[in-house]
Amino acid sequence: MSLAEEIVQLEEEALERIGSADSLDSLGELKVRYLGRKGPVMAILKSLGQLPPDQRKEIGARANALRSKLEARFEEAARAFEETTEAASIDPTLPGTGNRIGAVHVVNQVMDEICRTFYGMGFEIAHGPHVETDHYNFEALNFPPDHPARDMQDTFFVEGDLVLRTHTTPVQARELERRQPPMKIITPGKTFRNEEISTRAHVSFHQVDGFLVDEGVSMADLKGVLVAFCKAFFGEGLKLKFRPSFFPFTEPSAEVDINCFLCRGEGCQLCKYSGWLEILGCGMIHPNVLETAGYDAEKYTGYAFGIGVERIAMLKYHINDIRLLFNNNVRFLRQFL
Amino acid sequence: MKISYQWLLELTGLDWPVDQVADRLTLCGTACEDIVSTARHMKNVVVGEVRDLKPIEGADKIRLATVSIGSETMDVVCGAPNVAVGQKVPVATLGAELAGGLTIKKTKIRGVESSAMICSQAELGLSDDHAGIWVLEADLTVGESLVTALDYDDYILDFELTPNRADSMSAIGIARDLAALAGVRINYPTYAINEDTELSSDHVSVAIQDTDACGRFTARVIKGVTIGPSPWWLQKKLIASGIRPISNIVDITNYILLETGNPLHAFDLDLFGSNQVLVRRAHDGEKFTTLDGKEHTLTPDVLMITNGTESVGAGGVMGGLDSEVKDSTTNILLEVAYFDPSVIRKSRRHLGLVTEASQRFEKGVDPNNAVHASNRAAYLFQELCGGKVLGGIVDNYPKPFAPRQVNLRPDRCRAILGAEFSAGRMKEILGNLEFEVSGSDPIECLVPTFRHDITREIDLIEEVARIEGYDAIDDADINSGPLFTPIHLEDRFIDDVRRVMTSAGYDEMLGHGLAHSKDAARLEADVPQLKIINPVSEDLDIMRNSLVLSALPVVAHNIAHRNLDLQLFEIGKAYFPPDNSGAGREEDRLLVLVTGSTPGSWRDKPRPCDFHDLAGALENLRGHFRWPQPSFEPATVPYLETGQSFAISLEGRSAGVMGALDPATGRKFDIKQPVFLAELQLSSLLALSDRQPVFTPLPIYPAAPRDLAMIVSESVRVGDIIDEIRSVAGGLAESVELFDLYTGKQIPKGKKSVAVAISYRSPERSLSSEEVEQKQQDVIAALKQKFNADIRDKQE
Ligand SMILES: [Zn+2]
Repeated sequence: MSLAEEIVQLEEEALERIGSADSLDSLGELKVRYLGRKGPVMAILKSLGQLPPDQRKEIGARANALRSKLEARFEEAARAFEETTEAASIDPTLPGTGNRIGAVHVVNQVMDEICRTFYGMGFEIAHGPHVETDHYNFEALNFPPDHPARDMQDTFFVEGDLVLRTHTTPVQARELERRQPPMKIITPGKTFRNEEISTRAHVSFHQVDGFLVDEGVSMADLKGVLVAFCKAFFGEGLKLKFRPSFFPFTEPSAEVDINCFLCRGEGCQLCKYSGWLEILGCGMIHPNVLETAGYDAEKYTGYAFGIGVERIAMLKYHINDIRLLFNNNVRFLRQFL
Repeated sequence: MKISYQWLLELTGLDWPVDQVADRLTLCGTACEDIVSTARHMKNVVVGEVRDLKPIEGADKIRLATVSIGSETMDVVCGAPNVAVGQKVPVATLGAELAGGLTIKKTKIRGVESSAMICSQAELGLSDDHAGIWVLEADLTVGESLVTALDYDDYILDFELTPNRADSMSAIGIARDLAALAGVRINYPTYAINEDTELSSDHVSVAIQDTDACGRFTARVIKGVTIGPSPWWLQKKLIASGIRPISNIVDITNYILLETGNPLHAFDLDLFGSNQVLVRRAHDGEKFTTLDGKEHTLTPDVLMITNGTESVGAGGVMGGLDSEVKDSTTNILLEVAYFDPSVIRKSRRHLGLVTEASQRFEKGVDPNNAVHASNRAAYLFQELCGGKVLGGIVDNYPKPFAPRQVNLRPDRCRAILGAEFSAGRMKEILGNLEFEVSGSDPIECLVPTFRHDITREIDLIEEVARIEGYDAIDDADINSGPLFTPIHLEDRFIDDVRRVMTSAGYDEMLGHGLAHSKDAARLEADVPQLKIINPVSEDLDIMRNSLVLSALPVVAHNIAHRNLDLQLFEIGKAYFPPDNSGAGREEDRLLVLVTGSTPGSWRDKPRPCDFHDLAGALENLRGHFRWPQPSFEPATVPYLETGQSFAISLEGRSAGVMGALDPATGRKFDIKQPVFLAELQLSSLLALSDRQPVFTPLPIYPAAPRDLAMIVSESVRVGDIIDEIRSVAGGLAESVELFDLYTGKQIPKGKKSVAVAISYRSPERSLSSEEVEQKQQDVIAALKQKFNADIRDKQE
């Protein structure tokens, strides 16, 4: 092997070993071995004097080039080791510092999500008073005085012949008076029922009602909008079931069941093995309601629906006791960051 | 309401499986909530015959019965006093699963091996009658399975009926929906009465004083009845409809009530006290004892059935104790009447009673079916009690109800439903529901008088929809309504408040809005309260008039659960008594509170929260909404600590209060750690929130920073110092920041050291150092003059 070939081989070998060095120490050892005074490069340089003059220059240049190349590589590799060593001195698992964020109450999260979904379909938000007149809470919604349907409402009465609204539907009656069709509105908010507090019932709960009044609105439109809502809110592929029901302010009325979103209709504990969850009530606005608000019920028709927010929140997050929602234990609140 | 499945099949002639019956009815609005098999506790239960009965040594309550069950004869230990030799009895054998979770296994009782049991109705899940074993009818075949022998493979269907459908409160009522779904007609039960020549009118006359309250009253007499148990065919229908059989007379009235929906009442004719029925309002203060033994003091709200002088029944609600049918009864006065729904509601409310009768009357029964119901009952009295039915019915029906006519336009029906149902199909459905239909556009409908709920066209449209099924209506995929959907400022404001607060680490709480007047008293704030007239419990008797009323119990609840460090907020309403216009008064508020320690971290150690943490949260909001600089005036808020409570106002507009909770108030709520809270009026803040920022060019000339340390009296507010610096610097002080605040050893008592960093900068030119120095000296002079500030050299 000529000296030139030896230099090439030496370079290959050294570079390979630098590349596979696994620590700063072993790199140091390698450096001494290749570039040290007793190393092969130095040996070549020392032997230059014994070479014929025509080779001396060329081999000398090559050997010097190899020496500086290897020195550069050693330095580079050492720096890489130092850098990794420095980075490893951080423990990335230490908790980050700074402000933690707080939790929006889970009921408000769900209510907002329902509202946002309907907003995406063009429903505007409207609010009304919590302390209502009998007129807006009942009469204007086709609850005649002293009617059995009022028994379903478990009403709180307060001074001044007022009631705590038992649903947010009175906002519908108010908006019907205030606006002109077409109108497409949702009415989220707090409602009250005179019920003994238990795991399933509370004196207060939240509701999102919605309605559309225009010319030519039909029950098919109602079904369409609720199917679209459920798809957006609960996800694709869940069937809906519309069951005839009764609310004084709608006719025809329906209750809507959705395939249990946990078992997708197979049956599980959440849906009490029925495969279905009851999620909302709806119907075509009763002509008496439209007429009370001064509309020609022949010309205008509309639909309305109402969703219980706590019920949806409890189903969605498997919360088994409604009282947890109002106790405001922060360990509970922070589960819904 | 519970109804027997077999009964529905019998009335409709259908052979649908029970699930199909339940599902179809549910999907037409007659919701079946539960299905319970009558045979669920009859597996391995057979008909047995008691052959012998022997005492057991050392036991006086139990005996050893020898029972044949056909294939074998076995010894059974029995504790029932009514067991007797020769009886046919239900015998639960090995593996039977009885009501209450009892499974029959081999057991030893008093040394006697027993692997069977003679059952009561309760043990078979048929009633709650534990009185003794069930003695079966004598003609049953020994050894036969009980279900087969009793022909009792039935289901109890439990219906959740809507309040508009009074007509479904009977077997026939539910069968009508079922028949309409299947397109068949009801097999109406019939009667064949052998009327006696003696007439009911010889014994009774009927007068009605208030014909609006009592629209119809029929009376008839059945003589010579014998009281005894009802036959099994009747008992089993009652049991499968959730009614306990009592005796033939009571059972017949219950049965016809369940069959027709018309309540009936049987008086003991001989105890009635006269031969005249007078229906009138109760006298004020009149006393009356209902047959449940309760005495009531009446008002004219209650409608009474009287014998002319004394009351014998509260009409439509419950009969009286004195004229009740007893074991000795032989002659019956049978009442079938129609009462006005609202009258019965008032009556039963006054009496505090809800009965099978009142539930039906207050929703509306069919006045035109009263005579039919009376005939059906009379027929059964004749057949099952050996009664002699006197001729005729005394029927006082002053203003007969005529069927209402309501028209249906097929186009309207299609438009409302958005479905292409044919006029022919509409007619067919309404006909199947027993409407008399004629014509085709409009379809003219005579509404049967049992359908009080059908008053206008929309009601007919609903009938068509619910029988055809809502599935037959497609989901439209058009989205109509106004083109533009605004987001209202108020909603965005609330959203933003929520976002700013949670970003700052505050958790949102949600109050239910009700509160306890005692808690309100603990706050000692003289704020009017909105009282709840019918509270659900005494600790929720007012509406909160401050969010503090919701927050303090939440703090206490958390502390009790060892959550000591809280940063909470709530956006909600406070409620006040109605204003002069009669409308309720409500105010949107924001409550913010801190207590315990700051969250901290492994690097920044937690420290106790204080007033300034609360101030920081509010400054975040102020920054976000660009509210003007607030002013803080010392305030007297009874539940906040004196000297640490402030009224906040913005541009002269009152915005709320903030401060430290008075420790004594805290203790009343079981809170023993410092709490700092603010309650703000959102309407004031919203009004100041719609402010657009205007772009300020970024600085191009250098800033000249100067620090300034001074000693001032503790009573000097830092905010005033900063304001003064800004005002003296006349726009050249781009920022003035407090960077140190110190009171302590090195400072004289009553003084504090305040250090601020001032950054001088002009947007128009480079400031010369002379100019900056001059401003700084002006500032120092002003602070000395205004606050008597002792300016410190930097070196110190
Ligand atoms: Zn499920």
